[in-house]
Amino acid sequence: MIQLFHVSKFYDRCTALDDVSFRIDKGECVILTGPSGAGKTTLLKVIFGAEIPDSGQILVQNRNVARLRGGAIPYLRRTMGIVLQNFQLLPRKTVYENVILPLVIQGVTRRLARKQVLGVLKAVGMDHKQTIHTGVLSAGEQQRICIARAIVNSPILLLADEPTGNLDAELTVEIVELFKRIHAEGTTILLATHNQRVVEQMNGRVVHLQAGRVVSDDGATS
Amino acid sequence: MRLLYLLREAITNLRVNRGNVLIGIVTTAFTLVCFGVFVLLYLNLKSLTGTLQGDIEVVVYLDPGASEQVVSLVQKRLGAESAAVALTFVSKEQALREFSEQFPAESLLLEGMDGNPLPASVVVRLSPRFLDTESLSAFAERVRQLPGVTHVAYSQDWIDTLTLVVSYFELGAVVIGTILAVATVTIIANTIRLSLYTRKEEIEILRLIGATGVFIAIPYVIEGTILGAAGGGLSLALLKGIFEFFRLELNASGWFVGVEHILPVFPRQVSFLLVMTGMLLGCGSSVLSVFGLMKRRHR
Repeated sequence: MIQLFHVSKFYDRCTALDDVSFRIDKGECVILTGPSGAGKTTLLKVIFGAEIPDSGQILVQNRNVARLRGGAIPYLRRTMGIVLQNFQLLPRKTVYENVILPLVIQGVTRRLARKQVLGVLKAVGMDHKQTIHTGVLSAGEQQRICIARAIVNSPILLLADEPTGNLDAELTVEIVELFKRIHAEGTTILLATHNQRVVEQMNGRVVHLQAGRVVSDDGATS
Repeated sequence: MRLLYLLREAITNLRVNRGNVLIGIVTTAFTLVCFGVFVLLYLNLKSLTGTLQGDIEVVVYLDPGASEQVVSLVQKRLGAESAAVALTFVSKEQALREFSEQFPAESLLLEGMDGNPLPASVVVRLSPRFLDTESLSAFAERVRQLPGVTHVAYSQDWIDTLTLVVSYFELGAVVIGTILAVATVTIIANTIRLSLYTRKEEIEILRLIGATGVFIAIPYVIEGTILGAAGGGLSLALLKGIFEFFRLELNASGWFVGVEHILPVFPRQVSFLLVMTGMLLGCGSSVLSVFGLMKRRHR
């Protein structure tokens, strides 16, 4: 599913990623952990094509992201769901309008799109709030909408960067449970977090980053 | 579903950004009015030159002492010219009569003179093919050589001057049009750029979920096109108002009684040109600003 070969990334003189190599197989749940500034976000960014590595290769579903042209990046992102810490929702649009967006972009028919949106909204427990503008929702609700939007087009890979970073302990448990359910349905998950409780609750393979290097990997032998 | 979404986004952009959009429409309209005034001046001068050119007549004055035979020969030779389409003989008496009718105040001057001092003449109307400066002067030169001809007159000089003025206007229209087009593009591009900056986060989100550059750009291009078309429409209304006012003033002045056909014209093409120019400039400038920004934020 994802293979990284000696990936390095530098910002001026700062090393964000230093010779990172590992692979994630289909259906795996990988927790990327480490302190702030360890390179977790940069690693996710090079995987979904928001950053170009200075060296190394990244294969995502057999496509070399490091060599993809700018015009091919949107098509790569359509195959994955992305959830970020700061929600990234359109506040002037309703819950329904936010979640349907990836399907509008992909040109899915209105009927099919509606069916899929209602399905994922039910799955994240937000089907009763579909006509509400996202700006008025609580943090936990907003994150659930983000997750719904990320999985609405049934991606085979879900990337999440500190998805519980802005949530309290109770909401964190709720969101982690949601991720576990999505994983149980067969979606590959790569989740970056520095929250030890999330790492424990997710119960997946843990890759530990420090100063841009992989210092430990549960699945290194697999 | 995609098309509907893109149209709705464009309308939302216009609504959210209405202050800037309004400024953009008004400034575009004023710029296009300036351009339109120039185009109308140019077209009217060109039309006037054409009308006057078509009215050119060559007057061949005959020697007062020329015999009937010589006069008849001159007429025969003139009739044989391929450039001449109609000949009118104006006798001495007729010339005096016409002079008295046209200039009643000055006719008193002639009363004190012995006999009729005005010469007989032949008025030659030329084929439109021979109305250019070179053909006219060649024709006049040939006619001047005929026996019994004292003078050949035609009003080409000032028409040539008018043609020169029109060609300067043509050049001026291109230069001023280019400057105003650049100004309009800058105004609309800045309005769109502002719209883009206010929705920067939304664009980032759209990129994140797999929207292509074209998908993100289309609402802004529609917004720019609508803005340009609205500017063009407003400029058309303003220009038409100015034009009608000017026309009424000219009519009221009474200078053009009997020659209303040379009064200013407002061709339908000018209306079309203004709205289309506004639309094209709007579309072009939004494409420039959207794709300029996209290039800078490649991924």
